Amino acid sequence: MFRWFWGFLRRDRYWLVGALVLTVICSALGMVNPMLTGILVDKVILGRDFGLLWPLLGLLIGATVLRMTLRWMFVMTFENSSQRMVKALRESLFTRLQHLDFAYYDRTRTGDLMALMTSDLDMCRHTISWVGYQIFENVLVFIFSVTVLFTIHAGLMAVLLLVTPFIALATFFLAKDVRPQFSKVRAQFSKLNSVVQENIAGNRVVKAFVREQEELRKFRVENDEYRQRNLDAAAVWGKYIPIIEGFSGLLMVIMVLGGGWLILENQMTVGSLVVFTGLVWALTQPLRMSGWLINDLQRFVASLERIYELSRVESSLKPSAHPVALPEGKAKGRFEFRHVDFAYAKEPILSDLSFTVESGQTVGIVGPTGSGKSTLVRLLARFQDPTAGQVLLDGIDLRDWPLERLRPSVGFAMQDVFLFSDTLEGNIVFGNPNATVEEAVAASKQAMAHDFISRLPDGYDTIVGERGIGLSGGQRQRVALARLLLADPPVMVLDDTTSAVDLETEQHLQETMRALHGKKTMFLVAHRISTIAHADLILVLGKGRILQKGRHSDLIQEPGWYRDVHFHQLGLEVGDDHGAQ
Amino acid sequence: MARNKYDVDEDLNQEFNVHAVRRILAYLKPFRRPVTGAVALMVTASFAGLLPPWLIQQALDVALPRHDLGYLILLSFGILVTVLIGSVALYFRIRVMNGIGQNVIHALRTDIFTRLQELPFSYFDSRPHGKILIRVVNYVNSLSDLLSNGLINLIADLFSLAFIVGFMVFLDLRLTLICLTVLPALFAAILLMQRRQRRAYQDLSRKQSNLNAYLHESLAGVKITQSFAREPENESIFRRVGEAWRVSWMKAVGILFATWPIIEILSVLGVALVYVAVVDWFRDAISVGIIVAFVGYIWRFWAPINTIGAFYTSLVQSAAYLERIFETIDEPVGIIDAPLARDVSTVQGEVEFRHVDFSYDTGVPVLEDMNFHVKPGETIALVGATGAGKTTLVNLLSRFYTPSAGTILLDGQPLDTLTLASLRRHVGVMSQDNFLFSGTIADNIRYGKLDATDAQIEAAARSIHAHDFIEKLPDGYATAVSERGLRLSMGQRQLISFARALLADPALLILDEATSSVDTETERLVQKGLAKLLQGRTSFVIAHRLSTIQNADRIFVMEAGRIAETGNHTELLALGGRYARLHGVMV
Repeated sequence: MFRWFWGFLRRDRYWLVGALVLTVICSALGMVNPMLTGILVDKVILGRDFGLLWPLLGLLIGATVLRMTLRWMFVMTFENSSQRMVKALRESLFTRLQHLDFAYYDRTRTGDLMALMTSDLDMCRHTISWVGYQIFENVLVFIFSVTVLFTIHAGLMAVLLLVTPFIALATFFLAKDVRPQFSKVRAQFSKLNSVVQENIAGNRVVKAFVREQEELRKFRVENDEYRQRNLDAAAVWGKYIPIIEGFSGLLMVIMVLGGGWLILENQMTVGSLVVFTGLVWALTQPLRMSGWLINDLQRFVASLERIYELSRVESSLKPSAHPVALPEGKAKGRFEFRHVDFAYAKEPILSDLSFTVESGQTVGIVGPTGSGKSTLVRLLARFQDPTAGQVLLDGIDLRDWPLERLRPSVGFAMQDVFLFSDTLEGNIVFGNPNATVEEAVAASKQAMAHDFISRLPDGYDTIVGERGIGLSGGQRQRVALARLLLADPPVMVLDDTTSAVDLETEQHLQETMRALHGKKTMFLVAHRISTIAHADLILVLGKGRILQKGRHSDLIQEPGWYRDVHFHQLGLEVGDDHGAQ
Repeated sequence: MARNKYDVDEDLNQEFNVHAVRRILAYLKPFRRPVTGAVALMVTASFAGLLPPWLIQQALDVALPRHDLGYLILLSFGILVTVLIGSVALYFRIRVMNGIGQNVIHALRTDIFTRLQELPFSYFDSRPHGKILIRVVNYVNSLSDLLSNGLINLIADLFSLAFIVGFMVFLDLRLTLICLTVLPALFAAILLMQRRQRRAYQDLSRKQSNLNAYLHESLAGVKITQSFAREPENESIFRRVGEAWRVSWMKAVGILFATWPIIEILSVLGVALVYVAVVDWFRDAISVGIIVAFVGYIWRFWAPINTIGAFYTSLVQSAAYLERIFETIDEPVGIIDAPLARDVSTVQGEVEFRHVDFSYDTGVPVLEDMNFHVKPGETIALVGATGAGKTTLVNLLSRFYTPSAGTILLDGQPLDTLTLASLRRHVGVMSQDNFLFSGTIADNIRYGKLDATDAQIEAAARSIHAHDFIEKLPDGYATAVSERGLRLSMGQRQLISFARALLADPALLILDEATSSVDTETERLVQKGLAKLLQGRTSFVIAHRLSTIQNADRIFVMEAGRIAETGNHTELLALGGRYARLHGVMV
């Protein structure tokens, strides 16, 4: 895992080594100022050797400028390398995510992936840009300052060293105790977040049942709890921080008392005491940091484990083992299913499907929920592979098609429409970025979307999606349809695309669909029989099998699910409790 | 036409709004005493914290030359006391300030959430929910630091600066004046850096939000991307957005990391100046203790200036958030109870529209001169194209909107003479999204009547034929439903929301396309439930389903804000008009 991670840093290894060298130099230079000040006090102020003033001040300023410049350089080097690393890492994960199959997204929450791609990645960046050199620098500063002070007066230094472990201990406990508090705050935050989010999403239900007071009560519980969690976390800080500060202050007391006494005993100069006061931060700072740095390292390892896990996820769609030479141009659109089975987690969803669709034909797929309609159409563009059997397009097994050729040939418009935060025009041209504005408008007209779009204040420039305005379900479905029509693939799959569209509009859309008959291979998944009545082939699915197959005119003659539903939708009850399957 | 909106920075207006800041200060009012206490504590602590350099000066100049060990011990004890005072003050500061900050954001969040409960759903429909959510949760949170630390620190730091100068003057006026020549440079440098830093970080936060937004959309829309084989294009957009973030980051940290060196170098120059002054001008007049103490104070000078600058930065940033928050709190509710409105207790369900007109703000009429009378218990189906005014009509019934002209009467009472809460309790609305709250199925049904017993819940579920499927679920009525938990089918969700509505038992029921997403399989089941639900209630049904429509007592065919045809199914078919044509589509 660490080797894999190192792969993203490797190209910057010389920069990193250089930055580490600079860190050593800076830590050493950090000792210069207090020492020079000590000499100034002893030699110039007290020793009255005024000739030394300018050289010493020159050194003091020079050392500071040099140290600060070098420090800026190495800090920026670490930042730069961490940025390059995280960018490469993020892009590699993104590419992987883009290619993972539907099955992965069905079982993975977007929120979890977002957390991984933002906070976990940031933890990696933070480790390279800050944690790493901080550990190194603090250890160096501590060693250097202890050495310097020991050479000045070992006895005083030894007494100071007695106090330091308490600082380290308090920091360690603080870091340890604060972490669970933070995760409690975070957990409560997400509870609060979901109460508010549900309230907003369900605002119609809240209003319909006049439950505003009940909602306020639910909200208050979480809001109170959130405040309490924050105060609990603050209490942990309140417990340790004063202790840490107190011990750090105690060092100063010891120095003044011990140092003063040593000066009185003529065992130490005033300048040496000044060096001690100047370097006391160098003793306490590393200790104050230690707990946090250990904490950060632990979090880094946990984040890296999650990232590594994602980087190992494989798409179940393997590239073809026997690539075949495909004819140039678009697919013709002849589909064949040969004894296709599909199972999800060992549970059969589709069993033994066989049928053939000629290029330009329309297929209607109907059946109760859970009968496998959506799974079937997902196989068409190889979002999933069948567990057994074969799906062929133009006589070639889908697994032998390169995905980048197959998918543009099979276009989808789904029931649950996703629009990107972009202009309406940008969404419509999504599948065909080179389309002209005129073409986008033409497709919108076909999809019955033009009228409502042109009524919007910004027309086709209206931004929709999460960062723009909201559209109704039926409007979104029509935009998705326009998107599909503009992409103009030889095979079109409409998975209950008009469920939220009103009747009159649907009538027009059906005319659009019928006009494509013969030109496109169409798969229509629908609940309304009227939507698919004109199909060349109607498949009635039930529990993953084809129950009935044929044309509308034939199927309404056969007793069975299709006829029942047809008459029911006409408003005629036939054989009331005849089972749905 | 602009095509990619991922790289357009979201504009959080950064104009400084004094009004918003003044308004948040009002939230601090109830905490006047703890705030005063905290400030007093901080001032004491900062005074105590500034004493040690002076005590050290006393040690170097008085105790040591006089070989006065007693005084040295006394001075050390003095430092110990300042350390203890500092620690205790720190302890209280952390507790008190967090307490105030958390209480204020708690109050602010309650206010904004309360307002959200009062806002009409047109408010929720006209903007993405994420934008509302971020105001209630994230923006409010971002204020906590400003309120808890920023404000009190600011006051304390102003005192600190005054104390430092005071101590310096007390030690030596001439050296103070010399030192103060470096201070303007220090001051200017810090403020300048802070300003550049602020701009850089504003830019960075926009780039960050672009990156996150693009990432989120790519994940949420991955199926679309894959089906259009747009992966390479998306990756290049992602690289671009990521690169913009990286550049912005490097710029921001470049400035951030330059701030400290500049402060350090300027401080060293100040220290050098003190030495030069002492040696060249006041060679014999100034003691070593004063020099050491002076250098100590110079080093303490930059911290308060830096915090004041940082406070300003976060104030400007938070002012933008505050503005958004107050914008929501100030959003007009629109419809409120009339002064003499009274509660309705029982409702028969007689509805009458008299010359009702309605138009939204735009002035385009949505409903024109609606006149009809509905008897208690009647079922009315509303049919017509999108935009014909069906939803508007039913929204007027529960007074989510008020007619621009005309009167709506319920049981002969004009709607605006009734209190909103009592009216809406009698008017049940079921819309297309059968929203279920996270919780158990029983909880969701109980939402219709909060004090319902388990037996009542089961009875409601039974009578609309939902009991059978609920009982078959792993935990029955205690099965948890959530966004990702149990996957209920649309039809099942529908039945649960029917049970919820049945339990609420409204006299008037509105179904706004409530059955449109039900699949054929469950439709018959739902039909039975629906029939039970409609029994004995006045109901308005907007539906696509022929089966639902044709059972209605009367059908209103709406067109462009008017009722074009009325009658029952058979009558309208016989009429051969618009309804007959629509019927052709449905069949």
